[in-house]
Amino acid sequence: MAATTLLQQRVRQKALQTANQRGRQASREELAALIATHTTTLSGPATELTLVPGRVIGLEGPVGTGLTRLALVMLAEIASRAPVAIVDTRGWFCPVAAWEVGIPPARLSVIRCSDAEKWPSVLGALLTGLGGIYAEVPPGVPDQVLRRLSAKARQERAAVALRPMSGQLPAGITHMRLTAERVTWSGPDRGHGRLSGRSLSLYASGKGVRGIEQRFGVEDDGTSDVHLVGNLGAVSPGRAVG
Amino acid sequence: MCIWWETWALFRPDAPSDKPCVVADNQHVVAANQAARTAGVVRGMKRRSAEAICPGGLVLDQDISAELARFEPVVRSIEDLVPMVEVAEPGLIFIDIDGAVAFYGGEGELVELVAKTIQTRERPRIGVANSPFAARRAAGVAHPGGVYAVTDDATFLTDVAIDSLTNQDLVATFRWLGISTLGQLSQLPRDTIVSRFGAEGLRAHQLASGQDRSTQPRAVPVDVFVERRFEDPLERLEQVGFAARAAATELVGELRRNGSATHRVEVEAEAADGAIRLRVWRNADPFDEVMLAERVWWQLRAWIESHGITGGMVRLRLSPADVSGGGRQLGFFEDTMAVMEADRALARVQALIGPDQVLGAVPQGGRDPADRVSWHRWGEPPELVAPAAPWPGATPGPSPALVISQRIEVEWDEEQPTRVRLRSRWEPVLNWAGPWRRTGRWWTGEPDADRYQLVTSVGALLCERRDGGMYLIGLYD
Repeated sequence: MAATTLLQQRVRQKALQTANQRGRQASREELAALIATHTTTLSGPATELTLVPGRVIGLEGPVGTGLTRLALVMLAEIASRAPVAIVDTRGWFCPVAAWEVGIPPARLSVIRCSDAEKWPSVLGALLTGLGGIYAEVPPGVPDQVLRRLSAKARQERAAVALRPMSGQLPAGITHMRLTAERVTWSGPDRGHGRLSGRSLSLYASGKGVRGIEQRFGVEDDGTSDVHLVGNLGAVSPGRAVG
Repeated sequence: MCIWWETWALFRPDAPSDKPCVVADNQHVVAANQAARTAGVVRGMKRRSAEAICPGGLVLDQDISAELARFEPVVRSIEDLVPMVEVAEPGLIFIDIDGAVAFYGGEGELVELVAKTIQTRERPRIGVANSPFAARRAAGVAHPGGVYAVTDDATFLTDVAIDSLTNQDLVATFRWLGISTLGQLSQLPRDTIVSRFGAEGLRAHQLASGQDRSTQPRAVPVDVFVERRFEDPLERLEQVGFAARAAATELVGELRRNGSATHRVEVEAEAADGAIRLRVWRNADPFDEVMLAERVWWQLRAWIESHGITGGMVRLRLSPADVSGGGRQLGFFEDTMAVMEADRALARVQALIGPDQVLGAVPQGGRDPADRVSWHRWGEPPELVAPAAPWPGATPGPSPALVISQRIEVEWDEEQPTRVRLRSRWEPVLNWAGPWRRTGRWWTGEPDADRYQLVTSVGALLCERRDGGMYLIGLYD
């Protein structure tokens, strides 16, 4: 991952602010330590950005912002001990990306369902047996159905990530909602190099961040580890959703 | 070919021939002599029932290890005729006779030669068929000392009772549904069986249709084996037992990491005097740690007690003789209940939206992300995948999470992409990598193509330029 990405610059600025508040200039070592304290790994136990049994995570944002890979990283931890499933509404999902983040091929099932009428039954059946599910929500699924499915996920203790294909998830069904703000790529250089990393800027809201909307950054260097650059600051006060 | 001694367990010095005698494991009768059979005892009967029916009979505990030690000379005598004899249990062996038939001049000649070679107190039953499952059923039909040859497995299996399947829960369900023969099962649509009974149903349907699992093998990875060398030769049975268990656990773990399982394992041991012994063990279900450790232990003990390994064992090697993805056994630490519940849930989803919409995938070789995936219906075995290869010209990783195939418009300025049209909007290309040249398969009419990674403000795209147009083939999401 290039050292000068936007998110790392922000972390550096925050670290400098913290050091300046102590009344002196931060040394290089202190800076490194401060950056390290603000950087955790998604697969680590202390982070909030993991799929937790009985909780629904909402992933919102346009295609191309890296939310699929983020969901796969979340699933990978569950896939290390139990089968997981992906509900693909467009038939576009490529399992190579899942294998790259560490989901074993034998533990991954892909269900292709674009029918908004059958989709709730499919997800309902999956909730009864799969420990981890990443489901794209096709347009046209009623809000009350999503609420019922969310309740069923809590009842069945299934870890679920929902990604609406259009619009937003209704309020009250997610434990935490992650909204993609911006993605920055590194690697290509006018015909040279290749895509090697991305920085994803996210808003997090809901109970998972104690109702205080926060901005997070995710550093993805293409390996199985996706780093969360945490707590870049609270967003301006607003009503928590989710 | 299958050679089966129905009462091999009774070939022991303490089994009387003049009075009823039964050999049983903890729960069921394994073998009964003629006097016991006359009294009504049959193979597979509960031990307690056999004792009630034949109160004056002698009931002996089964000792598989000792049985195998007595069986070892028989196997060796057959191995002198045909190599790679596969042992399933003491008294039951399978032989792949494809090569031997040509060598000895015909199936009849080979069978006659094998029958002459076998010098045992009781003559075995011999079944000949294309698949091991049908051969075993044919041996069951043959008379003692006789041969039953099957020309068409599927036709022969039509009238075989459904009880011949190993999964007795499944058999009970089939019986409840009114299916009493393999022929009735094979006439049902396979999709329906798979969507209702999952992988177990598929396996049963394949067997009933005369398609044993050997019809869809995977390539055996050359690096999957376990070999242990011992500086001090292992002479005591306890030492050999520990070595067998450790090696078996390691091999099964290695296979599990590959997402595969094996039904046949080669056990190879080297003695201190340089003699090398090799035996193949077969099982109807994939081997797990316990099953494999047992068989390796039985085999090593048989070799040691029959002086096949003199001076102790200095090397032990276990390698899979075949590999398949079907019927993978769960590990000790794998969440067994989670896997079973997932299987049930996915079977329900298959019933809801059809088996073609519930998919599994395995990696295969290829240059593009879409080529690297071999899809298969969930519950069915994956197709034979292409071996791993360098694939020059492959798109570099990380792979796009979404693969698409649709034409897009891109503006170029002196061979440099400047704008890309996504739906109705033109997005400037902020940066790009490539092109990577892909040489098409000209013999199939596939054109050459150049692939680019384009970075825009809304995401990164993997595109392919061919036939004068630009195609979106992947989205990095």
